[in-house]
Amino acid sequence: MTGTAAHIVRTLLLSLITLFGVSILIFLMLRVLPGDPARVLAGLNASEDQVARLRAELGLDQSLLTQYWSFITGVLTGDLGTSARTSAPVASEIAVRLPATLILAIVATIIGTIAGVTAGVVAAVRRNSMVDHVISSVAMMGVSMPVYWLGLLLILLFAVTLGWLPAAGSGEPLSIVLPAVTLAAFSTALISRMTRASMLEVLGQDYVRTAEAKGAPPLTVIMRHGLRNAFIPILTVISLQFGALLGGAVLTETVFGWPGIGRLLVDSIGARDFAVVQGIVLVYAAAFILLNVIVDVLYVVVDPRIRY
Amino acid sequence: MAAVAALGLLISACSVSDPEAPAADGEGGDATFSIAVGIDPDTFDPAGQTTTTVSNMVDYVVETLVEINDENEIEGLLAESYEVSEDGQTITFELREGVTFHDGTPFDAEAVVYNLERITDPELTVPQGAAFAAFESATAVDENTVEIQLSQPSPGFVSALSATVAGIISPTSVDAEGNSYQEYTRPVGTGPYVFDEYTAGESVTVTKYDDYWGEEPYYETVVFRVVPEAATRESLLLAGQVDMIILPPVSDIESLEANPDVEVLLAESDRTIFIALDNTDPVMQDPRVRQALNYAVDKQAIIDNVLFGAAEVLDAPMAPSLFGYCETGSYEYDPERARQLLEEAGAVGASIELLTPSGRYVQDAQAAEAIAGYLREAGLDVTVSTSDFPSFLARVNAPVTENTPEAHLLGWAPAYLDADFQMQMFRQATHPPAGLGTSFYTNPEVEELLAQADVETDPDTREQLYCDASQIIWDDAPWIFLWTQSFPIVYDADITGVSATPVEKFDAMYARPAN
Repeated sequence: MTGTAAHIVRTLLLSLITLFGVSILIFLMLRVLPGDPARVLAGLNASEDQVARLRAELGLDQSLLTQYWSFITGVLTGDLGTSARTSAPVASEIAVRLPATLILAIVATIIGTIAGVTAGVVAAVRRNSMVDHVISSVAMMGVSMPVYWLGLLLILLFAVTLGWLPAAGSGEPLSIVLPAVTLAAFSTALISRMTRASMLEVLGQDYVRTAEAKGAPPLTVIMRHGLRNAFIPILTVISLQFGALLGGAVLTETVFGWPGIGRLLVDSIGARDFAVVQGIVLVYAAAFILLNVIVDVLYVVVDPRIRY
Repeated sequence: MAAVAALGLLISACSVSDPEAPAADGEGGDATFSIAVGIDPDTFDPAGQTTTTVSNMVDYVVETLVEINDENEIEGLLAESYEVSEDGQTITFELREGVTFHDGTPFDAEAVVYNLERITDPELTVPQGAAFAAFESATAVDENTVEIQLSQPSPGFVSALSATVAGIISPTSVDAEGNSYQEYTRPVGTGPYVFDEYTAGESVTVTKYDDYWGEEPYYETVVFRVVPEAATRESLLLAGQVDMIILPPVSDIESLEANPDVEVLLAESDRTIFIALDNTDPVMQDPRVRQALNYAVDKQAIIDNVLFGAAEVLDAPMAPSLFGYCETGSYEYDPERARQLLEEAGAVGASIELLTPSGRYVQDAQAAEAIAGYLREAGLDVTVSTSDFPSFLARVNAPVTENTPEAHLLGWAPAYLDADFQMQMFRQATHPPAGLGTSFYTNPEVEELLAQADVETDPDTREQLYCDASQIIWDDAPWIFLWTQSFPIVYDADITGVSATPVEKFDAMYARPAN
């Protein structure tokens, strides 16, 4: 286990360099984008004087090096800057929106994992049966269906026609159902396909036949000998999916008016609100690195043979 | 002759509820009215307003000195009357008495002075502050009289005071919790509703102000829900989860109109949509070419088929709701004439880049494609390009270079209903990057007329000056004049009292159940 601890420390230290690189990249990419933040912020009706004053206020009249320096020294002291659009500290803008994104990502991942793994295992065990074909076809649909379209269909059915669920927002406990199911559709499909493939490989192994031969109950064979050994690639897919969802499911958040961070990012890019975009991207990068470390640890838990 | 505009507003004040006897519980009980809008508010500071939808919410809480009534005339709101001096440089406001801010601070002359000084303070970012450039000073003559000094006559000044940017906030509220002079996040005004809560990305809630001076609204609570997707807003309304929405998907307007459960209001807007032509371009320099482009496009057909009827063809270089508008002319669809003019000018086969934003205005990119089709029919080589709005703006707001597109689609909505605001588009002083006169149009005659109008204090003369300027601009055709887009509002058919103002705002303050 000491090897694992050292691995984690090493990964975290290396990630500092990654984060530094990310900060430079996002900083430069924003400055390369056409569009003057001051003009966008001041609005179409503003005079050139006002735009110039705003440009100075935002520090955009300073050299790139000066701007980057004040950005990165701010980050190091825990200050992500101030939103040009709302004048609020970037850290609090992110903090307000992050919980909604986290909850949605977690619920969607749980739904996707339970449904996806179950469907994948069933499809693998009943390989080439009718059940397998149905699951595979539905999974194919789930992967190909645009989130946006699925979301609108679900709203029409469950909010407008049946009147069971809120169509948008996050104000009621049931509000999360439609966006989470919509988001989970893609993950479910992906996870079930990966589970099926991985399970098929494992179920063909000698030790599974041995287990069956010695008379272990079928469920034990499938779960302990099969799924546990098939789980590493499945875990990878789940964590990648979760990471992607953390990045803010922009389309889902937009369709369902969900107040998550993806919409904040898009609004901020649209308003050329540099500080907020930089802050969100840095937070993403950090979250992604952290997630990878957690998954590394989970690998060891699932498969004790793994050593770093 | 003294230009006196005295307004008898006491009469209307008497017809409404007695401010001395605030109703503890209105007839609406604790009913809630919810409205789905598309934009997440950036700031609730009146001075920081740039977006009509956000201003619309602020209007529930903060009131202005004057407002524009249904006949597009200036009417007092927090002011009872006003008087403009003969030289047009002093404006005296008599204020409404017995008005208090939500925090208990009395509304008086000092409060007005404070607010006027704040929105003209160079230290504060006031995006729409240009309208108050002529402001010099304000003095509280007595408790209910304010005298404003202007550095030069500014006939649009009073009209500009009707915009949300000039909303009067409580001077003590800038020190209240959550607020500062620079970062004003919890607005405290005199309006019928008190600002209650903002949940980022989700909703804004306001509750009834019991001591409101004017007519008491029906609903105890109004919730503005932020729903960026038009189709979802429509679903919310159809599911009965909100009472009213703005901007449904335009393609669904027809089916909504056929639905007996909802009412559709296609409100008039002051937003003109046009194709700005680069008047410095070697081909476009010739007025015949620009006129030809106007004749080449069948505007009505595009409105019917691409905008689903949600627009009105322009017959002047400004919207009809503006002071200074007069019906100027028409460029009826005439492909023959267009082709003939282009041939005369030797412009057949000229290549034109038509730049358009996408999703900024009703069916903008789609309309641009249709327009390009008509221009190709007239014999031009048109390519349509699009980009996100900030990038778009960076190109059209830059000085003329080789990168300037020959044509671009743009919308312009005056923040207050005066031709002065629209005419900025046709003056040399606003050629980019100084302003958004993106067609680089200038005509000495027009400049002269507009300069006169700037300082003309007689309304009739001023109106005529704008009318004359409009005529010249229309014939010079610096734009392809397209349409004013409608502002669609859809609401539950069981509700009454919903209307709109011509600045793309809804007016549902006094909405109530129909029965």
